[in-house]
Amino acid sequence: MVVALARLARDGELAGHGVNSVLGSLALLLARRLHAPGLRHLAIGGGLDPTPPRLPASSSSSAWLAGSPVVLSNVDFYQLALRGRIDLMMLGCVQVDARGRINSTVIGPFDRPAVRLPGGGGAAVLFQVVRRVVVYRTRHDPRALPAAVDFVTACGNLDRVVTPLAIFRATPDGLRVEGLMPGATLETVARQTGFPVVPTADCAPVPPPTIDELAALEALDPDRLRELDFK
Amino acid sequence: MTGLRAASLGAPFEAVPGFKGTDLPATADFRTVKDPWTGEEVYVVPALRPQWAILHVQESDARGNARIYGSPGYDLLMAQAADRVILTAERIVPTEELARMPELTRVSELTVAAVVEAPGGARPGDCHGCYGVDEAGVRRYLEASRSAESLRAYLAATP
Repeated sequence: MVVALARLARDGELAGHGVNSVLGSLALLLARRLHAPGLRHLAIGGGLDPTPPRLPASSSSSAWLAGSPVVLSNVDFYQLALRGRIDLMMLGCVQVDARGRINSTVIGPFDRPAVRLPGGGGAAVLFQVVRRVVVYRTRHDPRALPAAVDFVTACGNLDRVVTPLAIFRATPDGLRVEGLMPGATLETVARQTGFPVVPTADCAPVPPPTIDELAALEALDPDRLRELDFK
Repeated sequence: MTGLRAASLGAPFEAVPGFKGTDLPATADFRTVKDPWTGEEVYVVPALRPQWAILHVQESDARGNARIYGSPGYDLLMAQAADRVILTAERIVPTEELARMPELTRVSELTVAAVVEAPGGARPGDCHGCYGVDEAGVRRYLEASRSAESLRAYLAATP
């Protein structure tokens, strides 16, 4: 999944990620090592193009300032975003629905929620001022991908949704499957999704990680923090 | 952040792009106004004016002039928006030391009501240049915060 996310980042973009986004931050570090050396990486911990010696478990860790020529506060970050200067955000979420709307706020009614979730953390604004937003979810089942979310935390410039089974492309008609992760078929994706699954015309298997991609990933995250999100 | 920024400017509200089509404005009483120049609808967020902001800093003098190393996060905005500020500091340093490089001072004594010497005051969180996140400590805190009783016991036992 990290490799799939990294491939979505383009050389030259200014990109950020959410808080506690091990996968998102790792994907940006990986993209810079591989196909996108000119990608600019805004770490939520305040660093620009940071080179943490080991991937930090916390997105607020001081390690995110390593190698950075500047310290950006959260206010600096949001002001950049509000001015439309950020090209790409990698954000986690709890639910994403058929229309590409995100829920990170509540399951059930807002006043009497069955589950209260961590909240969107600025996503309601970021989705509409950042050029494209890539969302990921480490679980792919009908609860994580329902037909319609109970609460719309954010919607707008969604570009892709990446899960362990598929890559969805956001289209004016809703989410469409454009990539099948290694081992997944359209049938398994359909069974695990809470809305009718429609493939794009160019839907294809996602090429498995290359040896170079895996080696770079291992070098960046020797402690395998990336696996924690799947537990 | 928008509400704090409005407060920091003494403004009643601030306009912010975004929120369109989401359920958030209804839960927080964000409303729309018409941009008087373009006629476009835009969300406005009411000023959020805390009576107090409590900031932990690495160095402060006794008067409340403080340096913050690493990312200040939202700290400076909170200090600008609140009526009064309490600083907790890893170290109290002489004012003359700050005066040698005044450009490194991020919080000024003008809004600070009190300074507390509190080494380790950000634990179990991290404090740039002093200590990192204490993950076992965070877990202990989360465990303790499940009930008011256990939280009281935790606080009593925490220096």
